[in-house]
Amino acid sequence: MYLKTLELHNFRNYADLVVEFGSGINVLLGENAQGKTNLLESIYFLALTRSHRTNSDRDLISWKTKAARVSGSVQKEHTVTPLEINLSSKGKNAKVNHLEQSRLSQYVGQLNVILFAPEDLSIVKGSPAVRRKFIDMEFGQMSSKYLYNSAQYRSVLKQRNQYIKQLQFNPKGDQVYLDVLSDQLAAHGAEIIFQRIQFLKKLEKWSQEVHKEISQGKEKLSFQYVSPISSNQADTTEKIYAALQALFQKQREKELQQGKTLVGPHLDDVRFMVNDKNVSTFGSQGQQRTTALSVKLAEIDLMKEETGEYPVLLLDDVLSELDDSRQTHLLTAIQNKVQTFITTTSLSGVAQQLINEPHVFNIDHGVLMQSKEE
Amino acid sequence: MQYPEPIAKLIDSFMKLPGIGYKTATRLAFFTLDMEKDDVTEFAKALISAQRDLSFCSICGNITEDDPCDICQDPSRDQKAVLVVEDSKDVMSMEQMKEYHGLYHVLHGVLSPMDGKGPEDINIAALLTRLQKNEAIKEVIIATNATPEGEATAMYISRLVKPSGIKVTRLAHGLSVGSDIEYADQMTLYKAVEGRTEM
Repeated sequence: MYLKTLELHNFRNYADLVVEFGSGINVLLGENAQGKTNLLESIYFLALTRSHRTNSDRDLISWKTKAARVSGSVQKEHTVTPLEINLSSKGKNAKVNHLEQSRLSQYVGQLNVILFAPEDLSIVKGSPAVRRKFIDMEFGQMSSKYLYNSAQYRSVLKQRNQYIKQLQFNPKGDQVYLDVLSDQLAAHGAEIIFQRIQFLKKLEKWSQEVHKEISQGKEKLSFQYVSPISSNQADTTEKIYAALQALFQKQREKELQQGKTLVGPHLDDVRFMVNDKNVSTFGSQGQQRTTALSVKLAEIDLMKEETGEYPVLLLDDVLSELDDSRQTHLLTAIQNKVQTFITTTSLSGVAQQLINEPHVFNIDHGVLMQSKEE
Repeated sequence: MQYPEPIAKLIDSFMKLPGIGYKTATRLAFFTLDMEKDDVTEFAKALISAQRDLSFCSICGNITEDDPCDICQDPSRDQKAVLVVEDSKDVMSMEQMKEYHGLYHVLHGVLSPMDGKGPEDINIAALLTRLQKNEAIKEVIIATNATPEGEATAMYISRLVKPSGIKVTRLAHGLSVGSDIEYADQMTLYKAVEGRTEM
């Protein structure tokens, strides 16, 4: 799918904008503070009815105006679907094909986008909690069973931690109930770990291809699921369940000492390895960036596999962070495959040569001009 | 300007009820002023009587006027089965079904350490002594809600009861009767497929 046209009315610094995009790479060129990211934000908003930058929809409406509108048309394989979101201080409504949707959840999914912003580097560099959040978000979108199990897991975990704290004050308390909570936690935990490993394998496969291309085959990316449960125990949920139960038994005394649950998927991690070395500790800045980018780009193929359509890719200020050869390979990887929006302050020589028929838009104070390249 | 004391007190009292805020309480209080005198007296009496005349059955824990309650005293009921529920409202729901003729046991809550409810804080000990004393009971049906806490409570009870050889059963999960598959949420469907039965 690709975004054919976009219309903005009083959105951020755009008073009125009508623009037609190309199905390939669209470059948004402009100096700082001209509205490049605002334009990406409007596309993200059109897809998901919320912004990636703010939780307050009021911020999206231009100063001194009361209502904003974002609309556009999405070209899918055979059909063109008009989308529209109206936003005012009273709330928002979303229309598909000019028909108002009673629930926003019915609207979402008409246009799929994947955004890559400089903050996404934290998937590689950040703490394990960031990575867990990332995989929970990604896999939750693909499987409602995963979403259900993680919600149940969180709630049982809270109860169990609380009960362990109570046992600290009352060592003669009921151990059978702790067993029950452990088994319940192990049951949901086993489902989560099993699905995480399955999904990670899929994501790894696609990431490897992208990574190979960007790094010109010099580096090999692999994922490792980090958990006290060894991988030979992890091929069925029953085995993981048994392994988790054994771990809870083994850790019981330590858990009672520390007053919390010490094993489980809420403490697991994903390690990104380049040439068998951990990128987050041993990788260079560039390697970390490439890894994060590969993982994000792999989502494109994964989404194609799951939904049957390629999403639209939004790259916010990514080119400036990559060296020339990585830029070249990034652009070849996405060329002719997905519609891409790239924001940048300058179009470097390499990128300019490489992109076939790029649509370059100059942005100046919220006004868009398509520059005609020779 | 402030409301006169009697009505201010009434508003304050209404606000102690769950789900009632200041505005609703004010509306209710002014409505009470216009009510028939007899109705108001009835209302006040009912409030007091509900607390004064009701107690918990010493056998099953259900709310009752007489101890033991009507159900526990009824010899025509099936003495072999005990259905365990979270609260007295659930007993009423089961009774309205008119198809269950056994006994009940009311837990008054579920195990939830987050809310300060441990095994000693709900009516489980009474259930165990009841099972020990009364050898006629052959089956314990656990009818706690399908929440994580309800499940944990069910598992806990079954662990304690099973060694005695009494059969422990759990209510089925799945589609609600008369509903369309189209409108069921995905997890309900998943549970329904998982718990399918042979025909």
